[in-house]
Amino acid sequence: MTDRQESALLLLPGLLLLAGAFLVPILQMLALSVAGPDGGWTLDHFRRFLGDGFYLAVLARTVRLSLVITAICLAVGFPMAYIMARARPRPRVWLIVLVILPLMTSVVVRTFGWMVLLSRSGLVSGLLRDFGLAPRNFALMYTETAIVIGMVQVLLPFMALSILGVILRIDPRIEEAARTMGCSFLRALAAVVLPLSLPGIVAGSLLVFTLSASSFVTPNLLGGPRVQVLAASVWRAVTQTLDWPFAAAQAVILFAGVLAILVPYIRIAGRGHG
Amino acid sequence: MVRAVPPALRVAAVVFVALTAVFLVGPLVVVVGVSLSESQFIAFPPAGLSLRWYDRVLSSEAFLAAGWLSLRLALLVTLSATLVGGAAAIAIHRRRLPGGEVLGALFLSPLVLPTIIYAIGMLMLWSALFGPVSLAALWIGHTVIAAPYVVRTTLAVLADSDPFAEEAARTMGAGRLRRLWLVVLPQCLPGLGAGAFFAFNLSFDEAVLSLFLRRPGLTTLPVQIYGQLEFSPDPSVAAVSSLMIAVTVGLIVVIDRIVGVQKVAST
Amino acid sequence: MRNTVLLSVSAAAALAAAAASAQTITINSFGGRYEEAHRKCVIAPFEAATGAKVQIVTAYSADAFAQLRAQAAAPQFDVIHFSGGQEILGAKEGLLAPIDAASLANAADLVEVARPNLAGGQGPAYSIVALGLVYNSQAIPAPPTAWADLARPEYAGNLVLTDMSNTYGLQGFLMLNQVLGGDMTNIQPGLDAVKTMLDGGAVVVSTSPEIMQEFAQNEAWVAPYSSDYAFTLREAGLPVVFARGAEGTPAVFITANLVANRPNAELALKFIDREISPEAQVCFAGEMRYAPTNLKAELTGAVAEDTPYGAEALGSLLRFDPTVIEANRAAWVEAWNRTIAR
Repeated sequence: MTDRQESALLLLPGLLLLAGAFLVPILQMLALSVAGPDGGWTLDHFRRFLGDGFYLAVLARTVRLSLVITAICLAVGFPMAYIMARARPRPRVWLIVLVILPLMTSVVVRTFGWMVLLSRSGLVSGLLRDFGLAPRNFALMYTETAIVIGMVQVLLPFMALSILGVILRIDPRIEEAARTMGCSFLRALAAVVLPLSLPGIVAGSLLVFTLSASSFVTPNLLGGPRVQVLAASVWRAVTQTLDWPFAAAQAVILFAGVLAILVPYIRIAGRGHG
Repeated sequence: MVRAVPPALRVAAVVFVALTAVFLVGPLVVVVGVSLSESQFIAFPPAGLSLRWYDRVLSSEAFLAAGWLSLRLALLVTLSATLVGGAAAIAIHRRRLPGGEVLGALFLSPLVLPTIIYAIGMLMLWSALFGPVSLAALWIGHTVIAAPYVVRTTLAVLADSDPFAEEAARTMGAGRLRRLWLVVLPQCLPGLGAGAFFAFNLSFDEAVLSLFLRRPGLTTLPVQIYGQLEFSPDPSVAAVSSLMIAVTVGLIVVIDRIVGVQKVAST
Repeated sequence: MRNTVLLSVSAAAALAAAAASAQTITINSFGGRYEEAHRKCVIAPFEAATGAKVQIVTAYSADAFAQLRAQAAAPQFDVIHFSGGQEILGAKEGLLAPIDAASLANAADLVEVARPNLAGGQGPAYSIVALGLVYNSQAIPAPPTAWADLARPEYAGNLVLTDMSNTYGLQGFLMLNQVLGGDMTNIQPGLDAVKTMLDGGAVVVSTSPEIMQEFAQNEAWVAPYSSDYAFTLREAGLPVVFARGAEGTPAVFITANLVANRPNAELALKFIDREISPEAQVCFAGEMRYAPTNLKAELTGAVAEDTPYGAEALGSLLRFDPTVIEANRAAWVEAWNRTIAR
């Protein structure tokens, strides 16, 4: 057996699964996006989306929110991962438990927790009003901010754990060496740990970005019907207006939009690392 | 001589962790609070204290059956997704195959599309090929959306592994299986562990595929919760979640007593 | 000779009986309290009477329809229930089977509008949900009496609207539109009013639990919504009152439909027949305050006060033409989305 055969053998189950159980059903579904009414094919569904300011705004909001969510997850997740990695094992365990706890609750119920906190008479909105930071009758609920808050809580574990896995493998002595040679703590962090943890940052950002772009439940409940994201719009087309071809077209556009951002990102990140 | 971490930064770290903790745990406190409420509403702070919603859930056959099904399904999915995704990640990492980058992107694609599109497509295909849906359909569907997590986390860990370790083992005469088992697998372990954890959670909390791929007797816990909400939106759904939190934390404590979590966490 | 014939006939009869007792049908129900009522009023008596087994999938109309359509190759439901008018599209796409009115013993007793197109595949309505003004009797300064009251500026900050993706939301909107001078060809007056309400601080929700949340926690005063949910809220202990608007009461029909290409049509029809029987409907009215569609159903006491029944009361209910709704739904939803988008 050659090396190439061995790799192919390892890849085979995954490829079979992906081809048979994902690509076939999904392509059959996405093919609807170009299906014309009389059996021919058409680009009308795409034209309808791309020629409509409302849908374009939904797309723009989806991308914008996903970027913001990813950036916040990174800004919180990296220091969190670093603290976890350098903590003693026992506190580390409890930090890990803390970070993954939100994943343990059903998404619907957890989102209800946020709804209670962010609604008009909820704790958070109330505090903001008490401190004079928000007008009377103000509620965080049903705003883009609510979506960001809810999504960061769910997606932070993906970022923190992805980075943690990599930082744990960085030899602490490299960091020490940098400090011995006169680097301040923060400089050592920026010059040694950050570049070395790049694979974890890339993996985490990829997960967080794609998941926030395609999530439905949390954005739909916290944003409400007035602040729609693309995945919610797809859901509506499938179950409410029952326009499956248009739902498929929106899914294709979401897919293309996410790829258009991810591919250059992977390229740049890969180059920077390699 | 290495200077110690500046005290100001230590304080900042503690404050940072505390704030993050409040942010992460806040809604969970609300959920637990709601579950203890005397009243019928999902409201916080709870009005009166009572365990009646726990009683309701634990004596409900529908909830117990759904919980049991979700648990079995999540374990199956963890196993299959870790095996399939881990193997694929190793193969992609070695870059001996053409189009490695494309493959990596391909394995991420199930995460990019809204699950409902996949759920409908899967249901159409399964109905046309096999007729009624079954646990197998759910298992396969969940594996498809869980495997990408394992691929990603494993690839991330492998990216930093020593590429020459396997070469060294080969030089010393280790066979393919031995190299995989003794060199590559230990290198992947943190990634596989994180991936398996995500896979379990994803499957346990997945509501969209489970919503459409269902038939009588095949109702998972999230779907049961969702079905309960429309006409009886009472704190029993919060009680289910609180039980899930308690079980998880309890499990971690037990593992800690038996094996010592430090070992698990420091791999 | 005769003996053997007799024997084989009785053996066949025994076999048929055994087969019948082992028969099962699969239906969808709507979960929670609704499902409990469904069990009590229809399913349990049906199982007792026929010896058949009824399997339930908890699925709301929209999800159930998506499942039905995707499973067209091998449907799993025998009887499927819809509250959002999905039966029209289902019948058009051939997913639902035509029903011969003669095969339902109770069909003749149904009010006319509850069986608009049995032969075309649209199943009969077995419950009617009345839409009106749901308000918090303790918090609201002056209770609303008419649909037009919803536009009162002093309500706006405590008004809860429901998204058009929800059947009740759609029907309530059409009613508002109508009292403000619009009709089924022009929904602009309704949209303009909604815009003003939103600017005044009204919120839009899309699910029933959110409505409960608004009333229980967020000082909601009034919401155009359904009688069954108002009853659910009241049973949960909220001071909520359901009032019919002076201009009329729109009605949402819950229908029972026979799924095409299933082997158990006969048993499924018996099930549907049970749902449109007076006994089942009286029971449903008691549990959920649904109006019966069977004219022979007699309600008494508190139930009768809350629930319209009989030819005259049902005749006074408004029904927006479901075929017109179906034809315009996509365009309306888009116009609605544009109006409410921030």
